Amino acid sequence: MKIQGFIKDIVFSALILCTAFIIVITLHGFINIESIAPMMFVMAVFLVSIVTKGHKCGIFASLISVIAVNFAFTFPYFEFSFSLPENIFSCIIMLFVAIMTSALTTNIKKHERMQAENAREKMRANLLRAISHDLRTPLTTIYGSCSTILSNYDSIDQDKQIKLLKDVCAEAEWLNRMVENLLSVTRINSEEVSVKKTLTVLEELIDAVIVKFKKRYPDQKIDLDIPEAFIVIAMDPILIEQVIINLFENAVFHAKGMSKIMLRIFIVENSVVFEISDDGCGFPKDKIKTLFTGGGKYSSDSGKRHMGIGLAVCATIIKAHGGEIHAENRVEGGAVVRFSLEMEEDENGQ
Amino acid sequence: MGNNKYKVLVIEDDDYILNLIETLLTMNGYQSLTAQTCDMGHTMFISYNPDIIILDLGLPDKDGIDFIKNVRQNFTVPIVVLSARTTEQDKIIALDSGANDYITKPFGSGELLARVRAALRIRRQNIPGALPKSQFKTGGLTIHYDSRRVYVGNCEIKLSQTEYNILSFLSEHSGRVMTYSSIVKTIWGCVDKGSTKKLQVNMANLRKKLGSKPGSNYYILNELGVGYRMVDEDCEIHETVAP
Repeated sequence: MKIQGFIKDIVFSALILCTAFIIVITLHGFINIESIAPMMFVMAVFLVSIVTKGHKCGIFASLISVIAVNFAFTFPYFEFSFSLPENIFSCIIMLFVAIMTSALTTNIKKHERMQAENAREKMRANLLRAISHDLRTPLTTIYGSCSTILSNYDSIDQDKQIKLLKDVCAEAEWLNRMVENLLSVTRINSEEVSVKKTLTVLEELIDAVIVKFKKRYPDQKIDLDIPEAFIVIAMDPILIEQVIINLFENAVFHAKGMSKIMLRIFIVENSVVFEISDDGCGFPKDKIKTLFTGGGKYSSDSGKRHMGIGLAVCATIIKAHGGEIHAENRVEGGAVVRFSLEMEEDENGQ
Repeated sequence: MGNNKYKVLVIEDDDYILNLIETLLTMNGYQSLTAQTCDMGHTMFISYNPDIIILDLGLPDKDGIDFIKNVRQNFTVPIVVLSARTTEQDKIIALDSGANDYITKPFGSGELLARVRAALRIRRQNIPGALPKSQFKTGGLTIHYDSRRVYVGNCEIKLSQTEYNILSFLSEHSGRVMTYSSIVKTIWGCVDKGSTKKLQVNMANLRKKLGSKPGSNYYILNELGVGYRMVDEDCEIHETVAP
């Protein structure tokens, strides 16, 4: 990478210098180039310093320019002469321009990088704060319940103990789901926002999702409507599983009055559309636009949790797959979320 | 105390988890032996000859994978891997090194016990000198190995040669996750780029013929990105996945 960049820089420098040289040579017949040539080369050095990284190419270009100007375009022509004071002076000026320009551009580049880094750092800090807040709530229950039972073991009646322990279990499960979500985000390659895709059979994916979901919510009914055909999609199956589970759980947690969840999968042109809907209360109208950003939710200390980060994770995962995700309310009531993934092109793909 | 309990060797470096597993096993009638390092585990294994090993992969002195490979050179004792590593690749490496099963942390008590029971059942089947079985039965599915016939309920299912080979291979290792590559190697002999897909197509046909639908695969469970697991013989249908 580094060497490649360096070679590119050298090629650029050479190109710019050659152009300057050619221009000066062409002008040679028409005007007195003795005054033009140094200016042309100063500009060339300036350009080289801007385009390339670091000082090296700029200094190198200025040295070449000095030699070229000295050799070809100042009296005596095609002969070196470092004795004339103006030649030495122009040499110094060119070096100075080169060094200053590259120092300036390097500085600007560094500054930009730092700003981007700062923004990212800020986002990370915000996310961490949000997560810590979300983690602390169940931890409070777990820690509090356990220590209550331990310190009052003889005085609490059994029913109360069981109730407290059940809460501990439920909160621990919730914590685990949270960690799963966070873990899945770490599977996404953060620099290129990409995922490691493997060919996954749709039917197997859905089966795994349903088995996992039923394990947590044995009584929840799910209506399935998926194509009979053998469909293979390139995806990170664990991540897409997480997306569907998150959407299902979102319905369980937040869709008041919901009786069933529907999963419909159909094919539009070359993409597979997953449609998860329920017959509950639907999304709050004012929140529908910010659902997938996770924004707004963290500041409030309200009891409604899980929603923000789960949906934000869904959006991140689908985006990393190059797909799209949308949410809306159904006309007949209830919420619907659709996301699409590209299907495998043809049989000889992989 | 009677001495006919199963001996379970637990190798785990975290005190709390070790304590939890030990308590759980003792309460459920197993004798538990514990070790907190690979070396200690090896010593315990050699001196006590346990019936099953529960192994954490992230141990302080050595990688658990090395321990599995080491034990597998000479022994067939079931090894259940306990791990916080969750990528499919980690699971595949552990399984292909010879682990019988894996449980990811955190796990429920029921899940751990179910996996231990399943692994012990495999041990009983592998006792040297036992006659090879002539039939396999789980839920409504029956496989007659001698005549290569497969029944669901009383209906015979017509399978292709490959489909039968896959089904019987999975049934011989029931209760155990078989990775894609291990199945492909057994059925087709070699692994190439399209072989996983070939397997997936065959599996899809097999599921269709056995009448399995997403969410109600009673015989063969999917382990996404890892492989397939045949439901254990004569056990309750969803025991292996119950919380």
